[in-house]
Amino acid sequence: MADVDVDVVVVGAGPAGACAAIELARAGRSVVVLERGPFPGSKNMYGGVVYPRILDELIPRWWEEAPIQRWVTRRSTMVLTPTQALTVDFRSQAWGAPPYNGATAYRPDFDHWLAGHAEAAGAQLLCSTTVVGLLRDPGGRVVGVRTDRPDGDLRAGLVIACDGVNSFVAKEAGLYGPVDAANYTLGVKETLALPKEVIDERFGVRGREGVDIEILGGTGGVNGGGFVYTNLDTLAVGAVLKLPKLAAQGTRPEEIIAGLKAHPAIAPLVEGAELKEYSAHLIPEAGLAMMPKLAGDGLLVAGDAAAMCLAAGIWLEGVNFAMASGMYAGRAAIEALSRNDVSTEGLAGYERRLSETFVLRDHRKLRRAPHLVLSDRVQHLYPELITSVVERMFRVDNPNPKPGLRRIVESERRRLGIRRRDLARDGLDGLRSFG
Amino acid sequence: MTTATSSSPSAPTASIAVCLKWTAARDDAGADPDDDRFAGVSAADRAALEVALRLGERWGVPVTALAAGPAGAERTLRDAIAAGADRAVRLDMDADADSRDVAFELAQATAPTGGPCADLVLCGDYSLDRGSGSVPAFIAHHRSAAQALGLVSVDTDGPAADGVVRAVRRLDGGRRELLEVPVPGVLSVEGSVASLRRAPLRRALASRTAPIEVIRTPPAHHRGAPAIVTPYRPRARVMAAPAGDDVLARLRRLTDAGAAPARGETVELAPADAARRIVEALRDWGYLADHDR
Repeated sequence: MADVDVDVVVVGAGPAGACAAIELARAGRSVVVLERGPFPGSKNMYGGVVYPRILDELIPRWWEEAPIQRWVTRRSTMVLTPTQALTVDFRSQAWGAPPYNGATAYRPDFDHWLAGHAEAAGAQLLCSTTVVGLLRDPGGRVVGVRTDRPDGDLRAGLVIACDGVNSFVAKEAGLYGPVDAANYTLGVKETLALPKEVIDERFGVRGREGVDIEILGGTGGVNGGGFVYTNLDTLAVGAVLKLPKLAAQGTRPEEIIAGLKAHPAIAPLVEGAELKEYSAHLIPEAGLAMMPKLAGDGLLVAGDAAAMCLAAGIWLEGVNFAMASGMYAGRAAIEALSRNDVSTEGLAGYERRLSETFVLRDHRKLRRAPHLVLSDRVQHLYPELITSVVERMFRVDNPNPKPGLRRIVESERRRLGIRRRDLARDGLDGLRSFG
Repeated sequence: MTTATSSSPSAPTASIAVCLKWTAARDDAGADPDDDRFAGVSAADRAALEVALRLGERWGVPVTALAAGPAGAERTLRDAIAAGADRAVRLDMDADADSRDVAFELAQATAPTGGPCADLVLCGDYSLDRGSGSVPAFIAHHRSAAQALGLVSVDTDGPAADGVVRAVRRLDGGRRELLEVPVPGVLSVEGSVASLRRAPLRRALASRTAPIEVIRTPPAHHRGAPAIVTPYRPRARVMAAPAGDDVLARLRRLTDAGAAPARGETVELAPADAARRIVEALRDWGYLADHDR
């Protein structure tokens, strides 16, 4: 590997790329991180919850410096029909103190901060630079990248692709199978500004405490889900929508957000807010089913680029998988470079690390969840079943006596035309996934 | 063809300086002054850099990029080095320093004595913030150099031995002025003059660690800058709209346009009485409010 410009090129300075670069630079490896935006996080539209505990291994006491908006101390799961809402609401003050649990964050701040650690460790960060292709040796091994700059070839011992969903690098390397739009969802989001005091009051939180509301239903008949997250003085309100269904229905995503915001359960939360930003982005939703090969000769793939995103209804995670996979890719790269073997076999340490940790174990455990959560019954029939049952349970229908719960469930099931067999199968699937 | 005047004789150009106005675009209170994420330079400044690089290549002379501002401005300078500038100098000043102070320091830094010398100084004709385009004029004043501001094109193919730069300036009514600007001189260009080249990969990488000279500048009040004195402006008064259907006539009445001044009178008085009379007259005419008594 004498003819290389740098030991490792990391493509993309998001959480995966930054963590890979931190590990490599700290091990004394020369590493160049190429970012196509003008700064890390600049093109990000994220509006979710980051679970940064994996950073314990990279940045001790990260919570003292990470640019977060609010620590999530309240999690609500909401089931909506056009006129009903059932919410399961959980609050823990423990999540508002070190070592914390989840946090809302603006990714232009968070990614900038994390990439700053990579630079501090000695990685070279070059922004406004897009990787347009891979360099290969006659044997097909990846030996560097081609960028959109003049004289833009950079030869490297190893390339780590952290270029996000729809990774052109991983696709060019042939690590992905045929692309199926059904594996992707479209995340659409509005950033709505409200004074901090108003958010505190409406969501029942104080100081840096924040709320995470995940919503089933309320997406205008398109399979997916809604969300409301609190930042300090903005809300992130939006929906995650299954692509084929969205295309077939022909509804504009912004109309779906407008519908969600007009729902009686959501409207009072967002009333009077000023729209600051509207954005949309693809999400690799299908989990393990769409995951590419994670290594090729001279190449590793991490984060969204490797479809490492857990969209399992009650668990919606991505940044933690990106940070962890980036970190493990960095470690595997150090190992492979020191053995002077960056072949697929030489890089096997990467997948082994992922398999031993939550990264692949969670994906394997929840492999059925994305399909189940986005299925038509879960999306369109069960919300109505649940809310109708609850409505009848709590409705005082005097002079009629209270009906038994079993009778209510049975009559609602029949009214909605849900077969017992399907209900049992979905229940079993749910148990297998989440149990 | 017009020739801009200069007090210095023509001589082969020895170096070129380009001044880049770094602007912190985010105006959040309490934002980190060194945070360069949302900061940058105007299209005009980028055009100035490109013109400087082309002239530098054509004449075979070094190009120095200068920026006045906090440490955050250094990314702009590194970008200039990546694009081809030979040196970078940062004048350590507040991001919102007065244009005259900035121009004074830039003139010092580019003067033949006392700093990196530059025979030709290039600027953009507007910055991202205030955009008055006054800094290049002040630099030319301080250096007693020729100036040609707001140029719409610069001939970058002329030989250095000429001792002039040919350029085109925009005039009113769509007219153009062809200029031969003698060197030393100061030019400011519009953003459409040139688009900045893409920095080659290796230069871009090397620029991240390239040395940037930092010149500490004294605080403005140490330079004895005079306090700003603005001319007296009468207070605004509410006036009733004149009656009538003819718009022009109403406007004329409102502005006294074309009417002979009705208030003039000549009196001969002792100085103290004259002063008293003037104050009375100003009060009668509404130029002094009651609390000015």
